Amino acid sequence: MEKRETMWESYRRRGLSRRTFIKGCVALTSLMGLSSGMVSKVVEAAETKQLPVVIWIHGHECTGCDESFIRSAAPLASDLILNNVALEYDHLLSAGSGEPFEEHLEKTIQAYNGKYILAVEGAVATKGSGIYCMSGGHPFLETLQRAAKGAAAIIAYGTCAVSGGIQSAAPNPTGSAGIGHFIGAKDVVNVPGCPPIPEVMTGVVMHVALFGKLPPLDSQGRPKQFYGNRIHDTCYRRPFFDAGLFADSYDDAGSKAGWCLYKLGCRGPETYNSCGNIRWFQGMSYPVQSGAPCIGCANANFWNQGPFSDRLPKYGPLGDIDKIGAGLAVATTAGVAAHGVLSVYQRSRRDAEAAESDEVKGGEDK
Amino acid sequence: MKKVQREIFYVFSPFLRVFHWIMVASIIILFVTGLLITKPAGILATEPTATSMSVDLIRNIHFTVAYIFLAAFILKVYGFIINKGDRLFPHFWRGYFYAQTVDVALHYMFLRNEHASYLRNPLARSSYVLLYVLVAIEFFTGFAMYLMTEPDAFSTQLFAWVNVVLGGEMITHYVHHYVAWFIILFAIGHIYMVIRAEFMEGESEVSSMFAGTKILAHHPLDEDDVDPDELDNADRLKRWTNVGEGISKIRNVGGN
Ligand code: HEM
Ligand code: HEM
Ligand code: SF4
Repeated sequence: MEKRETMWESYRRRGLSRRTFIKGCVALTSLMGLSSGMVSKVVEAAETKQLPVVIWIHGHECTGCDESFIRSAAPLASDLILNNVALEYDHLLSAGSGEPFEEHLEKTIQAYNGKYILAVEGAVATKGSGIYCMSGGHPFLETLQRAAKGAAAIIAYGTCAVSGGIQSAAPNPTGSAGIGHFIGAKDVVNVPGCPPIPEVMTGVVMHVALFGKLPPLDSQGRPKQFYGNRIHDTCYRRPFFDAGLFADSYDDAGSKAGWCLYKLGCRGPETYNSCGNIRWFQGMSYPVQSGAPCIGCANANFWNQGPFSDRLPKYGPLGDIDKIGAGLAVATTAGVAAHGVLSVYQRSRRDAEAAESDEVKGGEDK
Repeated sequence: MKKVQREIFYVFSPFLRVFHWIMVASIIILFVTGLLITKPAGILATEPTATSMSVDLIRNIHFTVAYIFLAAFILKVYGFIINKGDRLFPHFWRGYFYAQTVDVALHYMFLRNEHASYLRNPLARSSYVLLYVLVAIEFFTGFAMYLMTEPDAFSTQLFAWVNVVLGGEMITHYVHHYVAWFIILFAIGHIYMVIRAEFMEGESEVSSMFAGTKILAHHPLDEDDVDPDELDNADRLKRWTNVGEGISKIRNVGGN
């Protein structure tokens, strides 16, 4: 295949100034969650690194991740896919279709073996030999494994690719699961979220593209710069939580006043994401800000942790656990009290018997 | 009045006793503050600018007490090392343990008039292991939630796996909360059994967790599980001999 451009070359070809290029690099730096000191490294990489080839495949999912992705504003998603990476194959965004399109996937895999970035959205449907999710006549699992084999790095976009997604909710009829188990010992970046934040999606792929390596990951394979803290720990409603001021329903005075949504089931205290820091759509808002409690969409299994409007004690399969617990405590207390009464009775019988046998023995001192 | 011969056994070191009472206070405070964290009472609502942040305060009490409880555990460990009587745990590996368990259980089910005498009976021994397991679960799940404010810190790495093993931090909350109730159920049963031992056998059970000694009317089967040497503390023993006329004989288990 033809020689690939660097980012700088692509800017030049389009007649953009050096100034615009540097501005773009600065924007990229902050977007990748790097400190401003790294700008020179980013510029260097953008001048010298050829645009990385990206193959973007879609499995068992709703493509909501793409809906999010195309709304990325910095960089513009269009900029990213047209100028910052060489997107060779994308189920959703490619203009081509049919057999030539599938052929192009094979060609790309072969031509850039070991060099391309594989972006995966969607879960793997495992039941029935994978027939629940097919494309181009192949089960998705096959496509995934073929593409994963030669990938330099793999990015799992969305909670589906990371851990199965909504289609894997109990009873999981299609046997859906995250891609982790099916790609061998490859480096994966997990970018969970349903969907992930647009700028997080572009930020991660740019990091891999520019530096040729994965960003620093946490124990669950998520980029630390975006999943480093819980929503609750940076939530702007946190002062209300600390002060004990809660909205009790979606339309009460507390809700209008913007109080904490904890009692409405907010999952912020156990969800790691950047919603509160980057926010969505150019910092416009995010669920908590709009008055909707966080549902924990970046968590594995969030789909099985309903209802979203309840936290403990009501949350859980058994109902209100505090009521059950209190009931059990009362029952236990009653039980031991009854046992106590019976014990006293037993002892008095025992003592009476002992006294009798003492008398029989002639009352000798014991 | 009928005279009963009694023997004194020194069982619990001061370390265990102090630990026990710190544990009692901690469990109560942790449980109450824990429930308030889950479901903050309306009365905690405060004007943020005017007060010292009340749910925050409740949480801080919970965490501080958790640390105190954890620190107090060193007392238990130290007592465990220096004093045999602090080590009254179930001897699962011994055949007689099971026979004795059946004996005690039958008595508790009123199928037997009495059970043999023990310094600590096998059922009680098992129940304390259970309690320590429950507390360990609280400890691990608690710190797994607490420390995740700093996911990168070294201390967090010691606990973060809990959230993964349980299948998500939501489940960690869930387990922590459920187990808290089990601890309360244990406490109810435990307090009852302690008091019951007191009135059924008339054997200074409750006071043993203050004074460290048990004064038994029957010879316990598990006397070998305590340290005989401790009985040489003559002063303390004298104090006890004066307690009641029922006590007529002090037996030095060590034999002299
Ligand atoms: C031993 C160390 C312990 C630590 C480090 C610890 C820590 C924590 C933490 C971090 C929370 C969550 C607070 C929040 O969501 O903001 C919590 C909640 C709670 N704790 Fe503990 N705890 C400990 C022991 C206990 C014990 C022994 C009990 C009860 C006997 C207890 C009862 C509770 C309850 C009922 C909750 C509420 C659970 C929820 O709804 O999230 N804790 N604790
Ligand atoms: C006012 C209430 C309580 C009293 C009077 C009390 C009394 C006692 C006594 C007398 C013993 C020694 C029992 C024996 O020799 O078999 C004991 C042991 C123990 N108690 Fe309590 N207790 C109380 C509350 C609690 C609570 C709330 C807990 C924890 C939830 C607890 C946990 C334990 C444990 C773990 C032991 C075994 C200590 C060891 O050997 O490691 N107790 N208690
Ligand atoms: S709204 Fe949710 S994330 Fe924000 S402080 Fe309340 S519970 Fe925490």
